[in-house]
Amino acid sequence: MIKVSHLRKEFELSRQQKKELNTTANNALAVDDLSFECQPGKVFSLLGPNGAGKTTTLRMLSTILTPSSGSIEIAGVDAVKYPQEARAKIGFLTGSTGLYARLTPIEIIDYFAALYQVPTKEKEERKKYLFDLLNMNDFLQKRIGKLSTGMKQKVSICRTMIHNPEVVIFDEPTSGLDVITAENIIKLIRDCKNQGKTVIFSSHIMSEVDLLCDDLAIVHKGQLKYNGQMSDFRQNMEASNLTEEFIRIVQR
Amino acid sequence: MIFTIFKKELIDTLRDKRTMRTMLLIPLLVFPITLTLFVNVSSSFEKKASEEQLKIGVWGDLGAKYWNQLEQMPAGLGKKELKNFKDSSALKRAIEQGEIQLGLIVPKNEAELARSKKPIPLMWLFDASSVGRQQRAESYMNYLSDIAETVRLKELGVDSEKLHPLIPVFQNCASDKKMIGQLAGGFLPYIFIAFGFIGCMYPAIDLFTGEKERGTIETLLTTPVSRWQMLVGKMMVVVTSGMLAASCALLGLFVSIEFLDIVHNKEILDIVHGILTPTFILAMFSLLFPLVVFFAGVMIPIAIYAKSFKEAQSIITPLNFVMVLPAMIGFFPGIELNALTAAIPVVNIVLSTKELISGTLSVGYYSISLGIMLILATLSVVVSYRQFGNEARILN
Repeated sequence: MIKVSHLRKEFELSRQQKKELNTTANNALAVDDLSFECQPGKVFSLLGPNGAGKTTTLRMLSTILTPSSGSIEIAGVDAVKYPQEARAKIGFLTGSTGLYARLTPIEIIDYFAALYQVPTKEKEERKKYLFDLLNMNDFLQKRIGKLSTGMKQKVSICRTMIHNPEVVIFDEPTSGLDVITAENIIKLIRDCKNQGKTVIFSSHIMSEVDLLCDDLAIVHKGQLKYNGQMSDFRQNMEASNLTEEFIRIVQR
Repeated sequence: MIFTIFKKELIDTLRDKRTMRTMLLIPLLVFPITLTLFVNVSSSFEKKASEEQLKIGVWGDLGAKYWNQLEQMPAGLGKKELKNFKDSSALKRAIEQGEIQLGLIVPKNEAELARSKKPIPLMWLFDASSVGRQQRAESYMNYLSDIAETVRLKELGVDSEKLHPLIPVFQNCASDKKMIGQLAGGFLPYIFIAFGFIGCMYPAIDLFTGEKERGTIETLLTTPVSRWQMLVGKMMVVVTSGMLAASCALLGLFVSIEFLDIVHNKEILDIVHGILTPTFILAMFSLLFPLVVFFAGVMIPIAIYAKSFKEAQSIITPLNFVMVLPAMIGFFPGIELNALTAAIPVVNIVLSTKELISGTLSVGYYSISLGIMLILATLSVVVSYRQFGNEARILN
């Protein structure tokens, strides 16, 4: 479960950033008073246009960034006070995630299993399960630099799931992927949901959200514009389709 | 956890061809190649110079006396061929055109000056752009002067010993080890510092800026590993790389001395063997270690700050000169290790190593040098830690 309450994030602007943004303000507000809950066994979607604050929010949930104020609870752990403990319960995957090109998939998976302190027996079981599930056995000894995008994506998924996290965070996970590779991610999100994990994913693609999510939050300029169940969102739509309704809410 | 990160980063680094080149290959080969080239080229020049037959053009009232003396010069002073010239401008032209290498102009009144026991000016013409010409002229002149002096003293009936009441006897009390330490000791720390810096450079950029550029840092930051453990694990690889590069340079130098027949003087070879003891190597590494940590600690914040590999490289490369320049202090013979120089970073390591080679390093100055470098190394680690914890920097 994820509980987010009155989350706020301000960034200090450098001189160059001030120049680029044409502002004299010393700080920029990326996330402004966000509160929501993600339930186990459900997919929660964080929807918003580019620059809405989705990535900043997910980075705070995964404790890469520290909130300016507000609280985050990850699977019962206060993530602001105990970030290291919270990270042990999180699997984090982004569309822009890179992998170490000079290592092999097996080396990467072993490395992350060690970082997550997965016991050896459990690690071997998880590896076998994930390698079979993702059909990875043929390229385990090849260097990442020599793998195709689809193969790399499978390694990233395996890396995310090696410690069997309770909470899985996806930041625009299908961005830049072809439909076949993106399908792996869609399948992974469904699997996580079926296994009772708490899943949160950000996207700006309405069709993807429609396909997967149970609960939905729309953010724009760092503020929460909508928070509710997907079924309610569909039922109460004022526009003719989901995309137009999303645009309508954002521009409201 | 630190060891897990260290192990992975080391494997990753060792598989990077660019890092391997700067960390192992170049330091290992630079001395065998450059020293072999230097020794071969210089000995071939020496051989060529000693075998070269110089044509000496002579103009003036030479007389059979000087002609014979020049002809009878010992072969050790170099082969020569004498040629008579009718006028001085033709002699000068012949030198300019390379037809002859040396010209000797004897004054027309030579016989008169000799009779009246006055000094006889002998003018030597040469082309200074050709190496060794002036030295040849000087050695011929000394030979002629010695003969002329002996003849004149004999004519005056003076015993040459009576003209030299004092005989200077100089005795060097410094040991050969100390001499080598002072004259050549600056070289060793210089190469250590230069290669230590270069060895740190690529891993520092690759493990910090590279991770940002490749988008792998974000994944690493979501693992339940503390930032300081990540930093220490990565920093250990940077330091190991710097130490390896410096060690490879030392190994290359040792191989050159031992197996490439560069040092022909057995006494010098014995002294070098006497210097390169395990205690010496250990003491030198104890000085080098905090210095390399300091280098890593300076480079890492820059690598974290930089947004791209190119940007990091463009900042760190000029820094190389700032860091390595003080290492040249070791080449100046007058500068010694004292309370002041022991407190100047980099300079203290160079001078301490120099004294270590000479066998004159005092425990006090060694402690000051080591202490200063340890403080700086610690400070640089703290700065690196703060920079690594800076959200704005680490995530671009």
